[in-house]
Amino acid sequence: MARIWDKLRPSGSGKLLRLSQEYDRLRRELEDLEAEAEARPAEPQRNKTGADRLQRYDARAYMAKRAANHAAAKAIFRAVREGGSFDEALRTQEKKLARIEDKRRAFAARLERGGAERKPAPAKQKPSAERVKRTAAEKAALEKKLAALETRIARAKGSGHSRISLPDDVALRVRGLKMYFGGLKAVDDLSFDVKKGEIFGLIGPNGAGKTTVFNCITRFYNATGGDMHFSGRGGEAVDLRDFRVHDVILHGIVRTFQNVEVIREVTVLENLLIAGHRGYGSSLVAQALHLPVLKKEERLMRERALRVLEFMGLTEYKDWYAFGLPYGVLKRIEIARTLMCDPRLIILDEPAAGLNDTETAELAQLIRRINKEYDCTILLVEHDMGLVMDICDTVCAISFGKLLAIGTTEQVQADRNVQTAYLGASEEA
Amino acid sequence: MKMHKLRRLMSVPLTQIILFAALMTALQLLSMAGLIPNSFTYAIGSTLIYAIVAIGFCLLLGYSGLASLGTAGFIGVGAYAAYYVMESFGMPYIAALAVTLAISVAIGVAVGFISLRVEGLYLAILTLGLSEILRNLLMAVQATIKIDISNARLFGVQLNDSGAYMLVLVTFSLLVWLTSNLIDSPTGRAMLAMKNSTSAAQAMGVSLMKHRLLAFVISTVFAAIGGLLYMMYVRVMTTSVSTLLTMTTSLNILGAVIIGGAKSLWGTTLGAFIVYGIQSMFLSKIPFFQKNPAFITMLTGLLIVVVVMFFPGGLTQFLSGIKAKLQRSFRKVREDIYGKDLG
Repeated sequence: MARIWDKLRPSGSGKLLRLSQEYDRLRRELEDLEAEAEARPAEPQRNKTGADRLQRYDARAYMAKRAANHAAAKAIFRAVREGGSFDEALRTQEKKLARIEDKRRAFAARLERGGAERKPAPAKQKPSAERVKRTAAEKAALEKKLAALETRIARAKGSGHSRISLPDDVALRVRGLKMYFGGLKAVDDLSFDVKKGEIFGLIGPNGAGKTTVFNCITRFYNATGGDMHFSGRGGEAVDLRDFRVHDVILHGIVRTFQNVEVIREVTVLENLLIAGHRGYGSSLVAQALHLPVLKKEERLMRERALRVLEFMGLTEYKDWYAFGLPYGVLKRIEIARTLMCDPRLIILDEPAAGLNDTETAELAQLIRRINKEYDCTILLVEHDMGLVMDICDTVCAISFGKLLAIGTTEQVQADRNVQTAYLGASEEA
Repeated sequence: MKMHKLRRLMSVPLTQIILFAALMTALQLLSMAGLIPNSFTYAIGSTLIYAIVAIGFCLLLGYSGLASLGTAGFIGVGAYAAYYVMESFGMPYIAALAVTLAISVAIGVAVGFISLRVEGLYLAILTLGLSEILRNLLMAVQATIKIDISNARLFGVQLNDSGAYMLVLVTFSLLVWLTSNLIDSPTGRAMLAMKNSTSAAQAMGVSLMKHRLLAFVISTVFAAIGGLLYMMYVRVMTTSVSTLLTMTTSLNILGAVIIGGAKSLWGTTLGAFIVYGIQSMFLSKIPFFQKNPAFITMLTGLLIVVVVMFFPGGLTQFLSGIKAKLQRSFRKVREDIYGKDLG
């Protein structure tokens, strides 16, 4: 029974994580409140401007023109087959086009006349005085709670006796990692350090065990041996082997997948809300009854998701079902999902696979921006050497589960072992 | 703009539930006034009981992607708990409810644990076996169970036929409301994530164990509540006990969910009305079907084949398709009258 209970509650070292999580959640709520107070959304614009309407009309006129051309082409084919003349078809088509053009001119003129009477769009709504007061009160309460939590966190840190320690600048330390599948040594005695705030690239030929390393870090696989230490939330070093796969996210480790795993049955926005799953504090009862606690959390989470979507340039897709969206968009949705839960280490599994050159260049920009603006470490596996050499601060090359070289991009490029692994042994060697 | 507000109000589940409950109450009042036959509302009541079971199953199949064929056994648990608590020990309805909940939660947790190891078709077969064990166990203990009307009491008030009908209706409305809330909450979304991709769900912090257990517990509890209400409503399970607890019931519930649309609560309710309601409300009055009851089952089977082939999203998909078509043709008529620019 004790074991079952142990499985049901969140794993890992308890108190500091809980407090830090609560702290991050409240801080995020404060941010959300501030953002909400700043930008009250303007009233939805009922009246379309004249230019908009004309544009829409033009789109329709374009379709009508296409239809006219199509009909003419058909008539000409018929004329050729039956031996008649096709002048008439051309004349009819010309007439039709002229009529469409006339109609468009008339529509534009009518808009011109009506345009002056149209009311201007309502100005941005100002928050009411009562609303401002309420927001200020909520903010003050939150700040007070945050201050109290800070002291508690400091106390928890002092009393905690962590059995592992990490240097201050290391985010993730992997030592002697082994993953055996029966006789196959997918990862064999691999060690590396990922520094805080850097973009770390893991490269290697196909089947080198890169994704296996990721799966070990995110606990999808239970490593055969070795240590993985992570500088956790709250600043305390934690052993990732103490965590179950769905709990590593509590410390801010999030990942994407090689074969895009977007939930296709829900909208893009809901995909992001699912990613924020652990950010909700409401109980099951609150969820079943839709208590105000949940409604408030939903509102804040939704706004946060909208901000992430805007950051990722996905706002136009927010209400689309993920089913049937283009591949590039799905990839961006996956990355957007990682931003939903206070990420501290984002693990990207071949983010550029299947993207063209322009998209890859955009992706490089995006990864840099995420690295900077969300202040998180990025660990990525990639085959596109251009991308890796462009954005990575540190590169680690592995082959058949073993470390080949680690260092800056130049160092790794110059390494003889790496060259051999990628190009085969040269004759002089 | 009033239309706009009305439409938004109608899209809230609570409004829909209240309207549905009002309609059903009106039917009951009409039958009390003698305007429609009693057997008609009686059939509606028993269909609502099946709808409760189907809605629990809908959460399991449509939202969590877990297949189960053990529904009949779980219904039996509720029915027998009701019989023993109310008839043998003479305790009130609330006590029976509490016992039913406790037992069904325990069974749900057990099956939920199994579902962590076994998936897909194997899980369905496993639950089928479990259901058969439960059925044979219950039948061996007592083959005939019956509730005396004087023992069917709620808050000290004895329930007559219309009282039991209202109890069923209120329970149905409450459970639909809770379920629709749960679906539109982090938990419901986590279940959908789990159904679509277990690895993505886990990477986003969704605990498979917690949500699978929850889905099974909800489905078992709903089924057991269905069994409890069935005892309150039908009161006798002499001949029906052997038929109610067989695989046919599990399959009929599955059929109701698939015909209606596995991802829609109202669709599932509609499915229950089609599988159970039409049969008991109309078809059983037709002499031909009275003579050959097997044809009713054949009709249901045929319907499942047609729906699965042409509308994999269930009748909900069919209806929303019709709605979209109507909207298109209305727009066309409007454009014909006022011209394209204003339409």
